[in-house]
Amino acid sequence: MLSPYTVLDLTDEKGELASMVLGDLGADVIKVEPPGGSPSRAMGPYLEHAPEAERSLQYFAFNRNKRSVTLDLETETGRTALFSLVEKADFIIESAQAGAMAGKGLGFEAMRQANPRIVYVAITPFGQDGPHANFPASDLTVAAMGGPMSLQGVPDRAPVRLSLPQAWLHASVEASVGALTAHALMLRTNQAQFVDVSAQTAMIWTMMQGMSAHSVQGRDFNRSGNTIQLGTVNLRLVHECADGYVVIFPIGGALFKLVEWCVQDGIIPEDWLTAEDWPMYHFKVLQQQPVAHTIDEVLETVSAYVRDKTKNQLLEHGLAEGVSMAPVSNMEDLTRFRHLEERGYWLTAPLPNGSEAQVPGIFANLTGTPLSVRRWPPKLGEHTDEVLGDLLGLSSSQIADASGHGPG
Amino acid sequence: MASSDKLPFDGVKIADFSWVWVGPTSTKYLADHGATVVRVESLSRPDILYSLGPFKDREAGPTRTHAFSDFNTSKLGLTLNLKTPEATEIAKRLISWTDVYVESFTPGTMAGLGIDYEVARKVNPSIIMVSTCLMGQSGPASAFAGYGFHAGAVAGFYDITGWPDLAPDGPWVAYTDVVTPRILSAIIMAAVDHKRRTGQGQYIDASQLEMGLQFLAPQILDYTANDHLTTRNGNRSNFAAPQGAYSCAGDDQWCAIAVESDEEWAGLVKVLGNPGLATDGRFATNSGRLQNHDEIDAQISQWTAAKTPQEVMRLCQAEGVPAGVVQRSSDLFEDPQLAHRRMFPQLDDPQVGPVPHTGHLFDIRGYDHGPRSPSPLIGQHNEQILKEFLGMTDDEITEAVIAGALE
Repeated sequence: MLSPYTVLDLTDEKGELASMVLGDLGADVIKVEPPGGSPSRAMGPYLEHAPEAERSLQYFAFNRNKRSVTLDLETETGRTALFSLVEKADFIIESAQAGAMAGKGLGFEAMRQANPRIVYVAITPFGQDGPHANFPASDLTVAAMGGPMSLQGVPDRAPVRLSLPQAWLHASVEASVGALTAHALMLRTNQAQFVDVSAQTAMIWTMMQGMSAHSVQGRDFNRSGNTIQLGTVNLRLVHECADGYVVIFPIGGALFKLVEWCVQDGIIPEDWLTAEDWPMYHFKVLQQQPVAHTIDEVLETVSAYVRDKTKNQLLEHGLAEGVSMAPVSNMEDLTRFRHLEERGYWLTAPLPNGSEAQVPGIFANLTGTPLSVRRWPPKLGEHTDEVLGDLLGLSSSQIADASGHGPG
Repeated sequence: MASSDKLPFDGVKIADFSWVWVGPTSTKYLADHGATVVRVESLSRPDILYSLGPFKDREAGPTRTHAFSDFNTSKLGLTLNLKTPEATEIAKRLISWTDVYVESFTPGTMAGLGIDYEVARKVNPSIIMVSTCLMGQSGPASAFAGYGFHAGAVAGFYDITGWPDLAPDGPWVAYTDVVTPRILSAIIMAAVDHKRRTGQGQYIDASQLEMGLQFLAPQILDYTANDHLTTRNGNRSNFAAPQGAYSCAGDDQWCAIAVESDEEWAGLVKVLGNPGLATDGRFATNSGRLQNHDEIDAQISQWTAAKTPQEVMRLCQAEGVPAGVVQRSSDLFEDPQLAHRRMFPQLDDPQVGPVPHTGHLFDIRGYDHGPRSPSPLIGQHNEQILKEFLGMTDDEITEAVIAGALE
């Protein structure tokens, strides 16, 4: 879909998913890396746990459908080569500290001189300006400042983030939306556009109904363990089963079925069936109307039902009966989930050590312009000659200068 | 507000038959930036968000929930009871009017209503149709209906959230619902650009599980390539220490601190004012700090206990150590950085009055943008849509009303 467009990716781990989204959607993505490589190449997890060159799985995860060019932007030839690429590009995405690119003469103003129709996207923790613009940040501190942490965890311990970094990924997919919105604006105005993406605000969005809670209802939501907070009621979602945990949202028709099954299993007496209008039960609870069985009794009953059954038994039985009981998967369960296999979701990627591994596939199935992985993540500088030679027409000695690899 | 002829998606038409989170928040981006988005609802099947809070002043009621109004800004409201044949005919006219047709029901629902992709492309050959659901349109679990809580559990987000010695906590929100709309919105924008250039539409099957898994890609690889399983670990990192949320002065107040390098560790030692930490060989390297995390945490907690989280953040930041207050919704409204970005513009909601809404998460310089109008009331724009967009006559509209098609 985006095949007419070229994206220059100057990001590190804070923005690599942004350009990958555009690349997966068809754009030609040229990853411009310093001679030492993107910092994400030195981030774990590593293949075979070996922190060596070309072994970063962090890098491998978010750099498919890209070509890698090394440019030494400290040198004049490197900078000249970058500007030549900018002339041919439609998008630039960078994730340097606020103002750092401009400080090197490589910011938006310089780029729009080179290409008056460029869309320039900058990803930072807090935005380009403002009182916190220069705060050092990490995934954890952005999860804190963005708010979602305040909602997660059990009340008697510290609030928690998701244990795997998410902030830069949210910022990155936000940046891909910002890039395409600004591109649509550029088409209307014929003017270069600058998009300022803040990871903090991207994280705020992940609080959903929690973010504006205080201004609307006059009080915050607070962390309450693995529950969903519906009005004044906390419904526990996670229940322990024979081989792990399942997530059940016991409302509506699903609750009625669960009550039926509990009666069949002898967990509760038959009079439960008629004691309540079960599909409407949660509304009564929400409105604090009198009920025959309290929500705690109902949740205990659900827990008793799942206790001796496996995740997979519950999933399959629920699927057949229209009650969603979701296994709490670890990566092993996930990679064995039959549904994904039958949809042909997984791809097999050639890894840098010569082995192969199952990796997440494309974002969605499109009939007109099918998405695909056209290239696996590049080795550092794999396409320097191809891009600088064929696209820009540089000689081999000019390429060596620009890429920071010296003569020969 | 920019002049109307300069909005990015001005002229793009979207028929939004989706509901709850993913579909409506995906089309919100296009609506806020100029597209004409008709949000189709039915009184016979009200959006589930109407029963979810937060409610204005904690008074429950379908038009008082911010969960709906914050995520349907800049859209027009149309009611159609698709169980009536008259409404199906109006839906087909809407489908021939639109560029993009979005739905988020269980697979097969639109076919049952007589408005699936086969029908849609007959009445509009260049249409872009988007179906998004938890598991995708095909496969043995395609009928798995539910929420982002369920898809988040299947994906693995529950297993990696919480404490290692406790049951999984899970993200507070229905997590795939916050991962997928941005990816889906980018896909729709790319499809709209492709249609603009080529005239070609298409059908898009977007599984929320499959989009969500992109956010676990490094850890999936760690398992498939290395046979290594990652699980929940509180706030600790597998790669750098110390990291955590530390208890501060006040009622349930916390500040997150994250050290990722030797330089940041040196900065933290300086902040803590404990020179013994600097000379203790156990803490000199990152691997040493990972091994002695509990002891370092005790030192940090002792230092933070009597300070406000803002003070802890300020002192750490002054030495180049990443630190951030664990902010609640109330803190977000006091955050000077967010005020600077005008994060929460007030919109005058016709039902509940002025309420802060979530503004744009990215900022396009020189383009003063934000939600253009509050979310529509149910059926608020029926007449405008039926007459102006679909060219229906007063008699046709009256017949539709009598048939119950507009309920």
